[in-house]
Amino acid sequence: MTCDVSLRDSRTLARIINLAHRFTCDTVAVDANKSGTATRVRFAFEGPPIALQRLRAQIDRIIASEFAG
Amino acid sequence: MNGANALLDALVAEGVDVVFGYPGGAIMPFYDALFGHATTRHILVRHEAAAVFAAAGYARTSGRVGVCCATSGPGATNLVTGLLDAHMDSVPLVAITGQVRAELMGTDGFQEADVCAITQATTKWNVRVTDASQIAATLAEAFAIARGGRPGPVLVDITSDALKAAVEAAGPPRRFDSQPGPRPDDEAIRDAAARIRAARRPVAIIGGGVRRGEAVAPYRRFVAMLGLPHCSTINALGAGEIDDPHNLGMLGMHGHKSANRAVHGADLLIALGMRFDDRVTGKPDKFARDAAIIHADIDATEFNKIITADVTLHGSLETTLTALMAELERERVPRFDDWAAEARTLGGPLPSDRVADHVLSATDVLDRFFARVQPDAVVTTDVGQHQMWAAQRARPNHPRSYTTSGGLGSMGFGLPAAVGAAFANPGRAVYAIVGDGGFQMSLTELATLRRYNVPVKIVLIDNQNLGMVRQWQELFYSERYSATNLSDNPDFGAIARAYGIASYTLDDPAVADTTIARFIDAPGPALLHCACHPTENVWPMIPAGQTIDELMEAKA
Repeated sequence: MTCDVSLRDSRTLARIINLAHRFTCDTVAVDANKSGTATRVRFAFEGPPIALQRLRAQIDRIIASEFAG
Repeated sequence: MNGANALLDALVAEGVDVVFGYPGGAIMPFYDALFGHATTRHILVRHEAAAVFAAAGYARTSGRVGVCCATSGPGATNLVTGLLDAHMDSVPLVAITGQVRAELMGTDGFQEADVCAITQATTKWNVRVTDASQIAATLAEAFAIARGGRPGPVLVDITSDALKAAVEAAGPPRRFDSQPGPRPDDEAIRDAAARIRAARRPVAIIGGGVRRGEAVAPYRRFVAMLGLPHCSTINALGAGEIDDPHNLGMLGMHGHKSANRAVHGADLLIALGMRFDDRVTGKPDKFARDAAIIHADIDATEFNKIITADVTLHGSLETTLTALMAELERERVPRFDDWAAEARTLGGPLPSDRVADHVLSATDVLDRFFARVQPDAVVTTDVGQHQMWAAQRARPNHPRSYTTSGGLGSMGFGLPAAVGAAFANPGRAVYAIVGDGGFQMSLTELATLRRYNVPVKIVLIDNQNLGMVRQWQELFYSERYSATNLSDNPDFGAIARAYGIASYTLDDPAVADTTIARFIDAPGPALLHCACHPTENVWPMIPAGQTIDELMEAKA
């Protein structure tokens, strides 16, 4: 599963990698670039389909929280 | 003014009247600003873990954001369990921690901890502030995030030099207006209404999401409109009218039989603000296997996480229920009274272990206690057998009247949460129901009760065991009672008296009613020490990972 996100807080990159580990997924590639105030990241994950689905949902939730204000 | 004054002004701007905390080096500038402050009161607890649990008790029972503070290093790390507890149960908190001077960060300075890294997975958001001019705006954002959407805890870590630095008096802080929440899709609402009309045995389940917003009233209208049997998870006890005959009680491992059996036999589940926790579902692939699922939640992450839903309704519960009722009223509104009446018959009385007549039974004590407790009282519990016995027997009529550590199950929660609840609910009776294990994790808060004369009353169910673990050892570990015996407990009454707290001892069932009445009527804080039978178990029980078919009502 590939996942493209724009992060306001670059630390979230590490949070997402830890989440992948929690959900028994592997982070097989990360490409991150700072652009202005945002960090654009492309992740590639491998893992069981249900775990990847949960990971994707959690990533969406984190991104939504980042911009909740 | 300095950064600490700016921090305090930001808290005042958020309407914060109470901060629970414990001072230390890096947070001292904030304590200096708090000294003698006119409107924001600091409550000194006796351990940082109690500060965050007290803030949670305040938030859970009021709906407002709870606030706690601690110093750097160990002060901050002592908050971690409480933050995760709040994260699991979606409780809005703001935790403020002092941090070492910016120049010392990363040098293993005295009392330095990378609390932002440590709490990354235990908070909804965290942030470090090193610039005093950013304190006010960051606090406003922290509060917005804590209370917005699905609520949760936010940690703001501020370096001591930022707290001490001079800063221009802030103007009105930036306001983070609540973003309009998602509104459930119209087609999904129509689909849900059609499924409700077609159902023969529908059951509604409400979860902790009901605490958010004003969902209680629309929920009660919804189930009344349909004559719908309904039940709740432990985090939503009180959401349904307690005297509504269609209210089947609590669902889950130690839930009421009628609730579990009705859900098991349902052909439609309407799940509202709940997340299908494993203590509710047991074995997910066997859970309500004949039922279609309508799942409504503010957090889309919960959809299809454990149980696959047939219809998902993404939005606040009040918006969702209002829209669903409007859709149902467009045509004939179905009624399910006959099914509700049948569902009520699926239960029967709560089973309990028989104990000798002269020995105190915990379930009997709690039956008698809840028969006498004031209807508007606030009840907190700790974690373990007493938590389940209380949840089975309590009769709260609002979900903010009964609070417990549901998701994380943090022992030590009950007493400090009651402290916070008392500050959030002045004039209301507040009870903490605790076990002898959990009480010993936080009994230092007796000092907080005494200092502020907080009228919290503690019901201590002392069975000289870590009872829930002991019960599992009895049932599932061949009676090998490893590290659960607490027969060398201290004299709890003497401890209470040493802290200046009135103490009542109950060890004779013959005087239970009179002793409980004296305890309830006592002015100020008090302890009721109940010396209970050591091996009474919690029934019914659906063993972990199993189904209603394996429901136990006594030891085999």
